[in-house]
Amino acid sequence: MKWSSFRYLFGQGLHAMRLNRMMTVTSVGVLTVCMVITGCAGLLSANLTSMMEWLGRQNEMVVMLDRSATEEEYLELGEEIRAIPGVSEAAYHTKEEALNELSAEMEGYASLFEDLSGEENPLYARYTVSVSEPEQMEAIGEQISGMPLVEVVRSPQLLVDTFLRLQRTVRAVSWGLVALLGIVSVVVIGNTIRLTVFARRREITIMKYVGATNAFIRLPFFVEGVTVGVLAGLLSSGLVLGAYAALADRAAGMLQGMEFMGPDMVLPLTAVWPLVLGGFLLFGILLGSLGTTLSMRKYLNV
Amino acid sequence: MIRFENVYKEYPGDNEALHDVDLHIKRGEFVFVLGPSGAGKSTFLKLILREESPTRGHVWVDGVDLADLKEKQIPYLRRKIGVVFQDFRLIPTMTVYDNVAFALRVTDVSEDRIRERVPIVLKLVGLTHKADAYPPTLSGGEQQRVAVGRALAHSPELLIADEPTGNVDPAMSLEMMKLLVAANNVGATVVVVTHEQDMARRMGKRIILLEEGRVVTDGKPGQGKGGARG
Repeated sequence: MKWSSFRYLFGQGLHAMRLNRMMTVTSVGVLTVCMVITGCAGLLSANLTSMMEWLGRQNEMVVMLDRSATEEEYLELGEEIRAIPGVSEAAYHTKEEALNELSAEMEGYASLFEDLSGEENPLYARYTVSVSEPEQMEAIGEQISGMPLVEVVRSPQLLVDTFLRLQRTVRAVSWGLVALLGIVSVVVIGNTIRLTVFARRREITIMKYVGATNAFIRLPFFVEGVTVGVLAGLLSSGLVLGAYAALADRAAGMLQGMEFMGPDMVLPLTAVWPLVLGGFLLFGILLGSLGTTLSMRKYLNV
Repeated sequence: MIRFENVYKEYPGDNEALHDVDLHIKRGEFVFVLGPSGAGKSTFLKLILREESPTRGHVWVDGVDLADLKEKQIPYLRRKIGVVFQDFRLIPTMTVYDNVAFALRVTDVSEDRIRERVPIVLKLVGLTHKADAYPPTLSGGEQQRVAVGRALAHSPELLIADEPTGNVDPAMSLEMMKLLVAANNVGATVVVVTHEQDMARRMGKRIILLEEGRVVTDGKPGQGKGGARG
């Protein structure tokens, strides 16, 4: 195909979009809504995955110790814990250290902690235990909680399980949405193209009779369908990323200082924008081409 | 240029459109295909343009057996054939110039070549002064000339006119015939499909008369059945 021919047909496609303005705006709108919904589900799913990975990397349990025991007994227990296969580290923290940590995390409320030092300290002395494989965490945790002097073992195991269930649900819903909204989008684009095809059926007939190849006949419609897809892709990327930027900051703030959670559990905007933009553009182009192909098929048999 | 060899065409439902049609139109000829509606004229055209394929028999256009033609090659066959439609089929939103250029633009002709070719065609059909006008502002006769101009844009070896005088008054019919003769004089084989006997006979050219899908007579007016055949 010559460059001048391509330019001509490309221009014809854009021209049709302008003539077909209302329908173009409508289909870009519907497509954008579909993509935004899909995008939100996708981002939620991606964040859950990231949280799971983050939790997996922590590999750390907190073992709270019986208040009545002596320092020597605590250290002895530490040796026992370290002897368990799969335990990579066990660090001892006195209850004073625990108190200092807490008051440091909650600075501004320092006065609350003033009266709690010494004998009044309600916190537990503790071991933070790291395991080499996150899969072993549950078994090791059970083993430790059966030991004397151990008051309670807290591990992110429950969180991991919860996230895992949530992730599965979100993923299933996401794929359902992608499929459903994908079909809706293809139908919407297909209808827009069909209108253009109908408006230009005279030209198509003439093109067939003067010997235009199918590629030439299709190109302007592809330009229209794909442009609609690209516009919707850009628009929905803007909307989704804008909302994400606002929400991710807030979510990270909320996770600050929570046990087993941290602000870096939330994927930062810089990590998601190339994926969102690329994904939406690709999705738009794909849906645009598919809608065009499906709606044009029967008009090419002359 | 065109050869039909024992061509039969049946449509679904026992509908026979052509029955054992056997004819040869030579390069440079001017031929009328005459017949009442339902005689098989449209089918005859569709077979030449390869919109349809015969049920039996063979059709050759420009030395090519259309049965051997692959789907992808059909556009290239049609570039050798110019078609003038009964209803002209002009694009109302394009100027006269662009209507003629359209045929070239959609078949990958370079813009340089289009700038060269379109004025020649417009001069040939006498519309140079109307190049920038839009079809709805033109008279019926002028629209007719745009349609012929577009059909001639590719310098086709074969020019087909489908009921070119069906929509116009007798003066315009004559005008159209003059254009077609002019195209014939510069080398195109011309096939005019019509149901208007009088006009066909007045032109004194070869007439192929179709009735109920069969060739009834083939020859110049005044000659007997089967005369001037081949």
